[in-house]
Amino acid sequence: MTAEVLAPTEPPAADPARKRGGLNPLARYLLVRLALLIPMIWLLVTLVFLMMRVIGDPIQAALGGRLPADQIAERKAAAGLDRPILTQYWEYLTGILRGDFGVTLTDNRDVSDILVVNGAATLELAFWSLLVAFAVGIPLGRLAARYRDRLPDVALRLFSILVYAAPVFFVGLLLKLAFTPFGWPSSGRASTGTELTLQQVEPHTHIMIVDAILWGEPSLIWDVLQHAMLPAIALGLLTGGVFIRLVRVNLLQTLRMDYVTAARARGVSERRVLSKHAFRNALVPVVTVMGMQIAMLLGGAILTETTFEWKGLGYALAEYLIKRDFLAVQGIVTVIALIVGIMSFLIDMIVALVDPRVRF
Amino acid sequence: MKNVRRGVAFVAITAASAAALSACGSGKSNGDSGDGLIVGTTDKVVSIDPAGAYDNGSMIVQTQVYQYLLNFQAGSTDLSPDAAESCDFDADDGTKYVCKIKPGLKFANGNDLTASDVAFSFKRIVAINDPNGPASLLGAMKSVEATDDQTVTFTLAAPNDQTFPQILVTSAGPIVDEDTYPADKVLDDDSAVEANGFSGPYTIASYEKNQLAEFKANPDYDGTYGTAKSKTVTMKYYAKAENLKLDVQNGDIDVAFRSLTPTDIASLEKNDKVTVHKGAGGELRYMVFNLNTMPGDNPDQKLAIRKAVASSLDRDAIAESVYKGTYTPAYSMVPDGQAGATEPFKDLYGEKPDKAKAEGFLKDAGVATPVDIKLQYNPDHYGSSSAEEYAAVKRQLEDTGLFKVDLQSTEWNTYSETYNADGYPVFQLGWFPDFPDADNYLSPFLTPYDDKQSGNFTNSHYNELGTDFQDDEMTKLLDSERVDGDQASREATLGKIQQRLAEQIPYLPLLTGAQVAIAGNDVKGVDTTLDASFKFRFTSLSK
Repeated sequence: MTAEVLAPTEPPAADPARKRGGLNPLARYLLVRLALLIPMIWLLVTLVFLMMRVIGDPIQAALGGRLPADQIAERKAAAGLDRPILTQYWEYLTGILRGDFGVTLTDNRDVSDILVVNGAATLELAFWSLLVAFAVGIPLGRLAARYRDRLPDVALRLFSILVYAAPVFFVGLLLKLAFTPFGWPSSGRASTGTELTLQQVEPHTHIMIVDAILWGEPSLIWDVLQHAMLPAIALGLLTGGVFIRLVRVNLLQTLRMDYVTAARARGVSERRVLSKHAFRNALVPVVTVMGMQIAMLLGGAILTETTFEWKGLGYALAEYLIKRDFLAVQGIVTVIALIVGIMSFLIDMIVALVDPRVRF
Repeated sequence: MKNVRRGVAFVAITAASAAALSACGSGKSNGDSGDGLIVGTTDKVVSIDPAGAYDNGSMIVQTQVYQYLLNFQAGSTDLSPDAAESCDFDADDGTKYVCKIKPGLKFANGNDLTASDVAFSFKRIVAINDPNGPASLLGAMKSVEATDDQTVTFTLAAPNDQTFPQILVTSAGPIVDEDTYPADKVLDDDSAVEANGFSGPYTIASYEKNQLAEFKANPDYDGTYGTAKSKTVTMKYYAKAENLKLDVQNGDIDVAFRSLTPTDIASLEKNDKVTVHKGAGGELRYMVFNLNTMPGDNPDQKLAIRKAVASSLDRDAIAESVYKGTYTPAYSMVPDGQAGATEPFKDLYGEKPDKAKAEGFLKDAGVATPVDIKLQYNPDHYGSSSAEEYAAVKRQLEDTGLFKVDLQSTEWNTYSETYNADGYPVFQLGWFPDFPDADNYLSPFLTPYDDKQSGNFTNSHYNELGTDFQDDEMTKLLDSERVDGDQASREATLGKIQQRLAEQIPYLPLLTGAQVAIAGNDVKGVDTTLDASFKFRFTSLSK
């Protein structure tokens, strides 16, 4: 992650003298970040490649014990695994650039197909989870700051620790036990009928809510929303717990700033001080931390997706790890690394847009 | 602040919309798909293409969409013509097995199904020899040719091989369309669905691999299974048995087939909304003794130890306490119910632990007690109850005071490599038959090692790595039963093989499992499909 977590400080005055070479500071900042993104992604994919080689030969891992040695050797040769490691590395890198992540060993499936179908599911889950995290974290963090050291604050701090510390599969299981007796869907991304209907949507995005909206049938949208609720809560609470504490701490720090004191001295109401002057600044670190939370969400998605039969990248990763299909694992982990790298860059961009201190 | 308000407003609008939509919808409005059925499973499809799959999940799909030359009618293990009009051994040359194809058969894509397609289907399985494929099943076939448009002739390694017709019904038997399937590689699933080269009772209407597959009845199907009772059947794939159980008990799916835990099954038996259906068992759970590395200083001592172990086990207790009755005791490698099955282990070593007998075996061979046994099991390939099962085996052996068991477990990939490399002295394995014939429970384990049969659970340590054990008489008996067309005399030979195996105990059968499916009370035809053919036919199901 390249974003820096900034503690709230006084908003700086614009300094035109710092503009150099005629290049907009924001553009310069983004160019630097973009230039750093390339080596970062290169490093990530190289690490994935090396890790996959350290754990052993993927053909032997997937097919060992099921084929005689000569056939294993034949398949290694066909997959290019008998070539020098640098040649394999070069093919791996050029394959990524072409969007070619190979074919799984255990079920003859294009890894890129898994990335599209399951990646869309994970993207959807991440979206819903972030929505839950924001919906829970921001208002509750604000509430905790407002009632500092009083009962609501103590209760909310406890709650945030609890949801952050509780394993996501445990929260998922509790949610399932609590909701399924009332007929709430406990697994999958939609009911079977809905899924079958949405498979006919053109263009088929594999993002259920988008496909349901494209289909235009309200009951299908509701069905998709119902199915998303429990996994989104399970995963979103994990990040929501972090957001509660982050918003609370930053808001309390901001409220101690001189410009807030000045606003109060001018007779601005406490409600307006909080909402207009302090709250927005307190949110900047939340945006920054969001980048790191995306990596955490993807990690948490493995357990959440398995618990709720949400067939995303985490689900696929767990399945192929069990089958020791390391070619599939390599492709999925590479894409997760790429997502984290690119999201980190996007978050940097957003932070630079909302916080001038970053770009000056 | 505006942004926050917008965010709160967005969430509020989403919630309000959801509530409004809730009022429009009826909760599970799309929980079923018209008149069709939804079947759930935790099995996974490796490949729709028969050349690339030899597993239960793929076989369920293949059973619905492909035709075979021969097939089993519901409730029967007798072969009936499917795509073939007739099949028989050539009267003059027993190595030739000749099938006449029904005229006028077509694939769903409109292409003709001819003898050439049949020959092509078998040839490509052998040529591709995919590691996940069934090429090893075709070891008995030397070649196959389309003699004319309607005739296909198989040349076999041995004359009158009685198991070969059964192999035509296995994962090696589906007939594919020569014009849409490549000869040299496995066709990926999406292309197979698009090619629509199916001539079975169903075609695939929509498909998301290992997520959801919708099957539509094929109106042009002309084969053993007859007209499908349900026009649409949807297969839903699960990662976790607990979710499969929840969905079947909530009525979100109609049938759950493979694989719920024994505890889940026992719990569902008390549920009024669903019925637990149990069918003929085929799966076998057994222990293997590595004749090289097992305890004992010489072959006599090793045999005595094996006999003492066989005399110390209470299979019935394991079946009840661990598997809640979903498995039953197995006293032969050939499970009860198969033609020719006998129970020599019961006769030789008894149903209940017999300490005096076990002690006698050890004493006569001069084996010092307690005998240290390193026992390995696998926790992730034969079901999650393996740990409990082998804990029970350890307890029963140690209760005699004659054994001290060091019980260990290893995950499957390492396990499968290690047992093949003489890594475990005594270990767990399981077997699911390719076809319902006693030979399929014997030959793969007892025929002399042949590297072409790897992947067929040939017990390589038993024959390949130079152990002293070489039972020529056993080989002769197996060769004889395979080509014996007289059922009574064949069953007598099968009995001798089972007796001989029980006397030598390279393998110790423990339990045999019933096929189990859970279905809503309104679902019909489940019992019909849970027969000894081990083929789960959607055509039998309706509601």
